[in-house]
Amino acid sequence: MATRRRILALGGHDFDRRAGNDAICDLIVELAESPRPKICLLPTASGDPEDQIVRFRRAFGERDCIPQAISLFRLGEEPVDLRDELLGQDVIYAGGGSMVNLLAIWRAHGIDEILRECWREGILICGQSAGAMVWFQGGITSSQGEPAVASGLGVLPGSACVHYLSEPVRRRRFLRAISAGELEPGLGLEDQTGALFEDTRLAETISARDGAAVWEVSAESGSAREEELYSRRLEDNRQPINDMRADILELRQTLATRASRRRAQRRRPGRLD
Amino acid sequence: MQALRQVVAFGGGGFSQESGNPLLDDYVLGLTGTANPRICFLPTASGDADHYIVRFYNAFRERTRPSHVSLFRRERGVPDIRSHLLAQDVIYVGGGSLISLLGVWRAHGIDSMLREAYEAGVILCGLSAGSLCWFAEAVSGYHDEVNRVPGLGFLRHSNAVHYCDGDRRGAFHRHLLDGMPSGFAAEDGAALRFVGDELVEVVASRPEARAYKLERRGSQVLETRLATRYLGAETPSEIMRGCAAGATRLMPVRQAAA
Repeated sequence: MATRRRILALGGHDFDRRAGNDAICDLIVELAESPRPKICLLPTASGDPEDQIVRFRRAFGERDCIPQAISLFRLGEEPVDLRDELLGQDVIYAGGGSMVNLLAIWRAHGIDEILRECWREGILICGQSAGAMVWFQGGITSSQGEPAVASGLGVLPGSACVHYLSEPVRRRRFLRAISAGELEPGLGLEDQTGALFEDTRLAETISARDGAAVWEVSAESGSAREEELYSRRLEDNRQPINDMRADILELRQTLATRASRRRAQRRRPGRLD
Repeated sequence: MQALRQVVAFGGGGFSQESGNPLLDDYVLGLTGTANPRICFLPTASGDADHYIVRFYNAFRERTRPSHVSLFRRERGVPDIRSHLLAQDVIYVGGGSLISLLGVWRAHGIDSMLREAYEAGVILCGLSAGSLCWFAEAVSGYHDEVNRVPGLGFLRHSNAVHYCDGDRRGAFHRHLLDGMPSGFAAEDGAALRFVGDELVEVVASRPEARAYKLERRGSQVLETRLATRYLGAETPSEIMRGCAAGATRLMPVRQAAA
């Protein structure tokens, strides 16, 4: 069987107990398709903060896997052979933060090439926020302050915008970029949703939280069109800890109403067509 | 009048590594000639580590107007980084990963802003990666091997920091013989003050801290210990000892690598 090259792009995820986050951790372990998979966090995009690494180790330490983090800022204290270490993983998880910094640092260390190799070798690549957008041709980053168009590594076709409804300014910039042709059509990924790509095809979208969706965004006669994709709802029996802001709920409701008018056209992504 | 272009390159030390010993930091502040200097911290090489930023403010709050620029959280920082940097008396660069530091600076265009600030007379200083970055080439021990990394090149020399361990000395000598430009190395607690490309003074926050000038002489490396002024000297004998003239050692390749 040919190696499946897979990327799971997440719109927003953390290693904590907020609704949906546990279910996504479960999904990652399941997708690894290996007994006691080795999962490696690259927290580069946020400068390798200790607290993120601790949360990651705790979350995946509770599951049947071997978690590890590689800090490019601490290679002096913890020297590793980056290529050997990364190619030895079952899953590589790229954390969120600054997309501009992420790319600059990966390129400075030559990690971008190693990660392409990992992807080609069939290691499951996961990423959230900046760590998700970086795999596409482009995305919307707030690395420079105001949301702006940024190029990614272009492993996956099209574009992506994360935190889709929770950051309305970012979403508006994405819509404008797509309508103006600055970005290829792409996906709007809400927090606790994800898009699984096999090779370079969208195989499935998932949602781990009530009401959270993945939107397909395309250009349509000078403006942008958002279409909600059918997402597989991930089940999670754990009690979540949540705080949803009122303005996000309202925006979600508006979009849901708009989407329901087009529900007839709602379709499944990729090969499920 | 053209502004003085100044870099103070620490081999190690300052608030990052010498808690309770402010001698090197005070020395830099003294160079500004201002009572309440504006000092901006760039913690990029550490990934903008929170604890590092807090320590910076604790160290400088009382005698300066401190600020910092975070390139990992720009949405919350100063909107116009260039004007902010140009308005400083001192730009202080923290330690960490030199390769990550340079990558991020270039992505945000900070390298050219720093060049402008340097030419406008803002004093640039830093330790470890924050020292290496100013030179044409750095002997960086931050990764599994001691590597030769091109820096910003504000100074045409090469540089090594934490010059106490044998690996770095051996690597510096090897790289010099491979054609790296001649340069300077500083131990923890020693700082090199440059005006333009010229080394004008070596100071130290510890009596024993030393710095060296390194150059290639044929197939050998000439390592000269530099006269150093101990900033904490109180007695005449301490002052004399601190100023002792440098000893010169010619080191053949084999010995150099030992």
